[in-house]
Amino acid sequence: MTRELEEMTITAPDNATPVREPRRDPAETARRKLARRQTTKVRALQALLLVAWIGLWQVTADQEWLDPVLGKSPGQSWDYFVGAIESGELWTNTKATMAAVVVSWVLASLVGAVCGIALGLLPTVERVISPFLDAANAMPRIALAPMFIVAFGIGMTAKVALACTLVFFIVLSGARAGVRSTDSEWLRLSAVLGATKLQLFWKIMLPVATPAIFAGLRLGLIYALLGVVGSELISAKDGLGQLIASYSSLFQMEAVYAILILLAIVAVLLNQLMVTAERWLLRWQAPADV
Amino acid sequence: MTETTTGATRATTPTAIQMSGVTVEFADPLGGTKQVLKGIDLTVPAGQFIALVGKSGCGKTTLLNMVAALVRPTTGTVTVGGETPKAARRNLGFMLARDALLPWRTAQGNVEYGLELRGVPKQERRETARRWLEAVHLGGSERLWPWQLSQGMRQRVALARTWALDPDVLLMDEPFAALDVTTRVAVQEEFLRLWQSEQHKTVIFVTHDLGEAIALADRVVLLGEGRVLYDVEVGLERPRDLQTVAGEPRYQEIYNQLRSSI
Ligand SMILES: Nc1ncnc2c1ncn2[C@@H]1O[C@H](COP(=O)(O)OP(=O)(O)OP(=O)(O)O)[C@@H](O)[C@H]1O
Ligand SMILES: [Mg+2]
Repeated sequence: MTRELEEMTITAPDNATPVREPRRDPAETARRKLARRQTTKVRALQALLLVAWIGLWQVTADQEWLDPVLGKSPGQSWDYFVGAIESGELWTNTKATMAAVVVSWVLASLVGAVCGIALGLLPTVERVISPFLDAANAMPRIALAPMFIVAFGIGMTAKVALACTLVFFIVLSGARAGVRSTDSEWLRLSAVLGATKLQLFWKIMLPVATPAIFAGLRLGLIYALLGVVGSELISAKDGLGQLIASYSSLFQMEAVYAILILLAIVAVLLNQLMVTAERWLLRWQAPADV
Repeated sequence: MTETTTGATRATTPTAIQMSGVTVEFADPLGGTKQVLKGIDLTVPAGQFIALVGKSGCGKTTLLNMVAALVRPTTGTVTVGGETPKAARRNLGFMLARDALLPWRTAQGNVEYGLELRGVPKQERRETARRWLEAVHLGGSERLWPWQLSQGMRQRVALARTWALDPDVLLMDEPFAALDVTTRVAVQEEFLRLWQSEQHKTVIFVTHDLGEAIALADRVVLLGEGRVLYDVEVGLERPRDLQTVAGEPRYQEIYNQLRSSI
């Protein structure tokens, strides 16, 4: 036992310290290699699934299983896609939609996160207004779209407004949940060290809430897309939702399918972007498998 | 009685902490009050290492929290370095059983935390933190996250964080209670070495462990039923060897006295 003690106190810092340092551990390197190989396998399976899905779609069209108005082939959608890219139609409308998505997402997330953390710091206020928040959040927001369109016209503002009403509550509840996981000892320590309210906000509450806020941000990004496209479907002067609405009314379903697939791809890319940002910002968290 | 104005005039052995006629009451759930401390008079000279022992729930943490201005005395007065506890916070170090490291800061970042709150410039903060991590034998681990550290390492980071602020008064609430026996002795030695290596800081050290109290402290105060039951000067020579101190007759004597009054 004495030997162990000496080791703990006297050994040179270099070999005494790195306990779970991932970079230097050969077992860790091997595990990473294995993980990489598994990722490749997953990607291959995903590609296969995609091909199978397109194949099934093709068969559905060939065999005329669906009503001829609905039953369009992947080839027809692709033709529309290529044409619409050449005419610039897709580009301008995607730009319009994405601009609204980004504006509403950033705006509503900022306000939502600050409000959520503030509610965590002010428990009395939280108790007073939380039933109202729940009620507002339960409202089917798409029902507000006509109102916003009347109020703000068919430009970007109405889409942004609708998407904000979705994103705000999602990020708010994430931040609220996050702040609740604050350890009282951190607060006690900070108080004795003389932390101000503002310092508590930046140095304790915000980092504590970050994982939960991120879950909200990710979900919020998708909901921003849904909100904007939903609003465009009802009425807008541009945007992918507006394109879908007008092609639907013309029964050009191949165009509708192509745009829906484009939306899906955009959603996946946005989500990937968030995963990357999250991984970097939350690098202080222990990996789940440790 | 408390002529001292600041902790800086330590050379004249002033009083670091003075409690007179202190009582603390908490509201109990039935609407009444519960008296946790019932008339405490305690004078701690600057530079003294005092250990506070007593049964669970006897008010040790409450007493410590009072000095840290986290709890207000219901009656009586508490002064720290001649000031109110709140005003004296800038000279205070605080350490708890759980290390309370912030998981989103590296070891280095955690040591810098207190300095950062007090507005120490970045460069100076860095250097101070690195120096103290070095002092607790964690040089080279600056960039590890708390989850990558062992319990003992985490508590040593907490030690460095406390020391980096260069407090005059150290309040420690069972700081080593969460460690296993082997690690605990190692961290105790680390702590004692830091304390003995410079001009002594005033320490109030709460512990459940009578042995730890006697081995580390200059003076042991036993609390019970909200009062001071027993107050003894340890008088063992310094520097002490934690491996052998338990064999000293004086250690045994105090141990038995405390044991019978607890
Ligand atoms: N904020 C509070 N409100 C009400 N009662 C409290 C509060 N803090 C402490 N108490 C009560 O005061 C008494 C003393 O608590 P304290 O935490 O000081 O004990 P302790 O000596 O530190 O115990 P332990 O050794 O278990 O840590 C306990 O009975 C506890 O229930
Ligand atoms: Mg306690």
